[in-house]
Amino acid sequence: MSDVTLYHWEPNANSGKPMLALMEKGVEFESHYLDLLNFDQHQPEYLAINPQGTIPAMVHRNPKLGDRVLTESTAIMEYVDAAFPGPKLMPDDPKDQWRIRWWMKFMDQWLAPSFSMIGWSVFVGPMVRSKDPEVLKAAIDRIPLPERRVAWRKAIYGTFGEKEMKESQRRVALGIHMLEEELSKREWLASEQYSLADVNGFNIAYALPLSQPELSNDEKTPHILKWLRKIYERPATKKTWAMGKTDMVKRVKLLERS
Amino acid sequence: MAMVLYHGEPNGPSLTVLAALFETGHDAELQLIDLTMAERHSDGLPHNVETQMSIEGEGPVLVADGEPMADSVFLACYLNDSAENSPIAPTDAFARWEMMTWCRQIIERAAPAAAYLGVKAHLSDKLSSLSEAVFQKMVEPIKSEDLKARWNDIREGNFDEEKISDSKAKIKAAVEMVEAKLRDGRDWLLGEFSIADLETYAWLAGMGDIEPAAFEGAIRTEGWLNRIKARPSVSRALSLAKTPAPQQVWAPGPEINRWG
Repeated sequence: MSDVTLYHWEPNANSGKPMLALMEKGVEFESHYLDLLNFDQHQPEYLAINPQGTIPAMVHRNPKLGDRVLTESTAIMEYVDAAFPGPKLMPDDPKDQWRIRWWMKFMDQWLAPSFSMIGWSVFVGPMVRSKDPEVLKAAIDRIPLPERRVAWRKAIYGTFGEKEMKESQRRVALGIHMLEEELSKREWLASEQYSLADVNGFNIAYALPLSQPELSNDEKTPHILKWLRKIYERPATKKTWAMGKTDMVKRVKLLERS
Repeated sequence: MAMVLYHGEPNGPSLTVLAALFETGHDAELQLIDLTMAERHSDGLPHNVETQMSIEGEGPVLVADGEPMADSVFLACYLNDSAENSPIAPTDAFARWEMMTWCRQIIERAAPAAAYLGVKAHLSDKLSSLSEAVFQKMVEPIKSEDLKARWNDIREGNFDEEKISDSKAKIKAAVEMVEAKLRDGRDWLLGEFSIADLETYAWLAGMGDIEPAAFEGAIRTEGWLNRIKARPSVSRALSLAKTPAPQQVWAPGPEINRWG
C-alpha cells in the first residue's frame, strides 16, 4: 500500500495540481476519486478528512509521526516537491522560487476564479441543475464554507450577475495576454526550468484552445500553445490525464500535434 | 546582493517585510514611500508585471539585483531562503506546508478584510478631500484596473454593508484561529517563530482600534500581540514610522474574494 492517498476529482484545476506534481516526482499514490458534481466532497466520510469540504486533500502516512492530512492544492504541491525524492519542481534560486510563488498566487487567486466562474456558469451549473431540487438544496446546506455555499448557489441557480461575468471575461483576456508575454521571455512560466508554476498553469489553461478560441490560438498566442503542447507531451501529464473519468478531461486531446 | 526596499509606514505588508528583513539580517537600502498616495506607482521606483499586477494591493516593493519583487509573504520567504539557517521559516516540509497554508488563510481572508476596514476608517476621508485633478494624476499610472477601481471606491466612500460585516466576521475568525493555536500555551503560532506570526500580526495589529469586538476575551492573542511587538525586528520596523500611529495607516489591499 502506498504511503500517500490523494482525494481528488478530475485532473483539472485544483485537483490536477497535486496529481500532476506527484506523477512528475514519481510518487506512487492511492487515488480516491470524489465526484464533485455528486457533492461527494461534502459527505461525512470526506469531511472527516477535510472538514472544509474542499478538494483536493492528501494524506501522507508516516510510521513515526502518524497520518498527516494536507489541504490547499498549491501548498500540497510545495510539500510534495520538498518531501519526496525525484526531479525538483522548485529551482534552488530563492528569487526563482519567489517568482514561481508569485505566479501561482496570481493564477490561484486572480485568474483561476475568473476561469472558474465562466466554467461553472456554462458547465458545472447546467450539469447539476438537472438533479432533484430538494436534493440540491440539501447538498448546498451541507457545504461547510459559507463562501462555497454562495458559489454553488450561483452556479446551480444560474444567478451570476452580468457585471461579474463581464469582469471575469476581462480578467481572462488580460490573464491570457500576460501568460503569452511571460512565455515569450523564457521557455517555462516563471523560471528557466519546468516548475510548479507550469504544473499549476497547465491545470487552469490546458483547455484554452477550446474554451477561449478567439483569445488563445496558434496565431494570437503561439507561446502559450507551444508551452501547453510541451507539457501535454510529458509522460507524467499523459498518465495524470488518463485518470480522468469524464469527457471534460478529453479536452486535453486538442493539444495533440497533427 | 544589492537590495532596496521601498516600503510604506510599518503596518500591513510593509511591516511584514521590514520585520522579515531585520529578522534575517540582510542589508538593504530603505526607501519610505507614501502608499496612501499611490507613490508605489510613481517613476521613483522600478516596475514590472509582478509589482503592477500584485494582488496584494499597495504593498512594499523589494528590488534585489535589479529585479522588482512584490507580495509580502513571498518576499519574506525570499529573505528567509537567501539567509543562512532559515531563521523565520521551518525547514521540515510538513511544518513549511503548515506555515504556507496558514499564511494563505491570512492573505486570502484576513488581509482583504483588514484592508477594507482600515481604508474605510483611515483613508477614505483623506482621498475625498483631494481635488479631482490631484486624485486622477495620482491614480493615472496604476496599471491594474481592479486596483484602480478600489482606489476610486475608497475616494467615493463606496463601502458595501455586506462586505463590511463579512470583513468584521473574518477579523473575528482570524483572532479565533490565533487564540485556538495558542491554547496549548505556546508562544508562537506554529511552535517556532515564523513568517506566519509576522504576517498575521501585521494585518491584525491595527484592527484592535477598528474592530475591538473581535478581540474581546482573546487573552492569549493579546499576549501574543505584545510578544511580537516586543521583538527587536518589529520594534525596529515600528521605529521607522513617520506618523504617530502607523497602525492607522492603510492603503488599498487585496480585494475581497469575488468567487468562492
